[in-house]
Formats: sequence, C-alpha cells, structure tokens
Amino acid sequence: MNKIFVLVTAVFLLTGCGATTTIDEYRPNNSVMELNSDESVVILGRRDAGHYDTDREFISCVAGKMKGADISVMPEQQFIDAIYPWFEPRTAPKGLKRLTRLMQDPDIKNQVDSQRVRYLVWLDGSTQTHDQGGSISCAIGPGGGGCFGYAQWEKSSVYEAIVWDLNDFSEKGRLRVDSAGTSYLIGAVAPIPLLTPVKKDACSSLGKQLKTFFSVKK
Amino acid sequence: MQITNIHLIASLIALLVITGCSSSAQVQVAERQFPTVVTKPKAVSASIIFDEQFRGYVAAPNKKTSIDIGSAQTTMLGNAFKGLFSNIEIISSREEVSLDNALVITPSVQEVQVSTPSDTYLNVYEVWIKYSLDIENSDGDQIDSWFMPAYGKTPDSFMLSKTNAIEEAAVIALRDAGAKLLLDFYRIPSVYNWMLREQKLGAEQ
Repeated sequence: MNKIFVLVTAVFLLTGCGATTTIDEYRPNNSVMELNSDESVVILGRRDAGHYDTDREFISCVAGKMKGADISVMPEQQFIDAIYPWFEPRTAPKGLKRLTRLMQDPDIKNQVDSQRVRYLVWLDGSTQTHDQGGSISCAIGPGGGGCFGYAQWEKSSVYEAIVWDLNDFSEKGRLRVDSAGTSYLIGAVAPIPLLTPVKKDACSSLGKQLKTFFSVKK
Repeated sequence: MQITNIHLIASLIALLVITGCSSSAQVQVAERQFPTVVTKPKAVSASIIFDEQFRGYVAAPNKKTSIDIGSAQTTMLGNAFKGLFSNIEIISSREEVSLDNALVITPSVQEVQVSTPSDTYLNVYEVWIKYSLDIENSDGDQIDSWFMPAYGKTPDSFMLSKTNAIEEAAVIALRDAGAKLLLDFYRIPSVYNWMLREQKLGAEQ
C-alpha cells in the first residue's frame, strides 16, 4: 500500500511540476541593441486594461533576470516618478506616434534624457488560473486533524514584451512568452502541494531572452 | 493540563476566525513624497483654496471602511497645481486671496467609493475619488464647476491585507487625479474662454 502511495506521489512529482514554455521572437534585424555604459533599460508594465494589471512582481523578476552582463536596468517606479505624470496608466503612450509627440515637448525630452534611458521595454500580460478540479477537505478535532482529497488547477502565463528605442522612437523587437502547467494539492493527512512554477518559468525565459537583445559598448 | 491546552488552542482559532473574517478597515494614506510634475506651467496666476475640510478629509465609503486621504490629497494636488500655474498661492480660505487677475480654485471631494474582491469577485481592490473643482475669477464670478473623477486599483489582492490594499489603490487614485488635472484642466472650455478673454493664451497660441 505504501509502495503504491510513494509511486503515485513520485509520478505526480515528475509530471506535475513541469511548465511548458514557448517563446516567440520578432526582430526587424538580428543586430544587437547597443547601449553606452552610462545608458540603461527600463521595463514598464502596461496597466490600462480593465480586467488585469501587469503585475510589478513579474516586472521586477524580469528586470532581475536581465541584470548582469553590464546591462543597467532602471527600476520601473523610479522612471515613472521621474517623468510624472506622463507614464501613468491614464497617460502612458500606447504607440510610437504618441511617444514621438510626447518627446516633442522639450521639458519631457530633457527629463527623459537626464535619466539616461535608451530603451523602454513594455510588458503586457498576466497569469491566470483555470480548469480547477478535485476536492480537498480539512478537519480538526480534539484528537488531531488532517486533510483528505485531491485538487488540481492549471495556470497559464502569457506576456508580450515590446522594445522601443528612445533615440529614434522606433520599435526594435517583440517577444512573446506562453507558459502553462498544472499544479496539484494532495491531502494525505498533511496537505502536499506540488506546484508548477508557471510564472517563474515565464519570467526566467523572458528575462534571459531579452538579455540577448542588448549589449554594452566597450 | 491537556484539556486546558486544547481549550486555549480552540479559543485562539476562534479568535482568529472572528477577527480574520471581520472586514472593517481604517486606512490612513500615509504622508509620502509624491513626485514633482514634469510640465511647463502657463503664465497664469491661481489661488488654490485647500480648506480645513479638504485638508483633513476622511472618506467613509461604507460603514466598515474609512480612508484618511486629507493630507495626501493636499500634497498631491498641490504638486499638480504647481505644474499648471506659474504664479500660485495655496491658502485656506477665500478671504486670504491676494492675487489679482487670477483663477480661484476650490477643490472638494464629492464621493469616495471602494470595491473589494468580496464585492466584485475580481482579484483587485479599487478606489474611486470624485473631485469637484469650483473655479472662479478673483472678483468671485464663477467660471465653472468641474467634475474630476480619479481611479486606482491594486495589481492583485494576493498577500495584501485589506488596509494595505485600499491604501495602495488610494495612492494610485491620487496619482491619477494629478495626471487628470494636468492633462485636462486647460481643455475645460470655460477655462479656455477665460484665458482668451484675459489674453493669457498669447504665448501658447
């Protein structure tokens, strides 16, 4: 009986905790985007959709993955505060035309230039939970307690990154990451979670791929 | 001894359940450094009246929630007004107006609304602040009464206490109010007409 339980748990551990991640990349040409050593990249989340916000935790995660190889990544909030109110959800440019018009204002242009930001990376997307199934119940009494049952849910992360060059107000590339996986919770007296790190996988893949876009001039 | 421990644990759990399910929240939007604005103020004078009620405003969107936004909204809107007018005075009442040929603006809060995940089944906390700006000239003639709604929401509600989530959403709503003011104030037709009459648009035309 114990052997069967161990075997079932092992199967879940092996199959349940892997996320499937796909990355699509588009660049007009394959040249690397060069940065001067004093220039930086800023990753910004799109927050104008009604039903979701690109969460700050994901943006910090991608920024963290991009750091290294001398690429300087400016914190999102620092840039948004420095240029307030032009990158708030209500005012942030949604397209290059609007960005170009915004940068025609000398005050805004000077402020952006003073921040030494060369590339903007817009991240748009979210992580959703769906296809929940199973049932688990927990009980506690004077003699002890425990959880029994089984639950599963599927998570999917879809994010798109768009890179804008602030020197010539052009789009330099796009990346799209799709990550999906199933997580389980087994109640065998103690609840045993077998979680698939879908969002973490999406962040890691996106960050590493974005990092290959940039290089610092020597 | 064992029974006493069980009673103690049971009492603690009961207490946690009772307090955990309580949905009241007293939110104090902490005094913070709101960003200065990146705009070129127009050559217009304005007296901004932040009266005592506005400076100490505590919203009560429902019976169980109160949000103290007085101090934070005074700072935020003060910054925004400084980005609109080159000559500005921030005062507490109409009697203190000292600028001639100026706009006299009195902001007030009409309503604050809050929605939580338990209300909407969405994974976000939301705050709406509805402002009204009474705009007069220095002679006391009304130019307009402008309705200005602002909105803020948290990215998600995961691991956020209700108090922290409402505070975060309120701060985002206040920033939105500043953005809306800076973006739309000079688009108000009556303000535009006043500027035309007072020949304040010469440099911008």
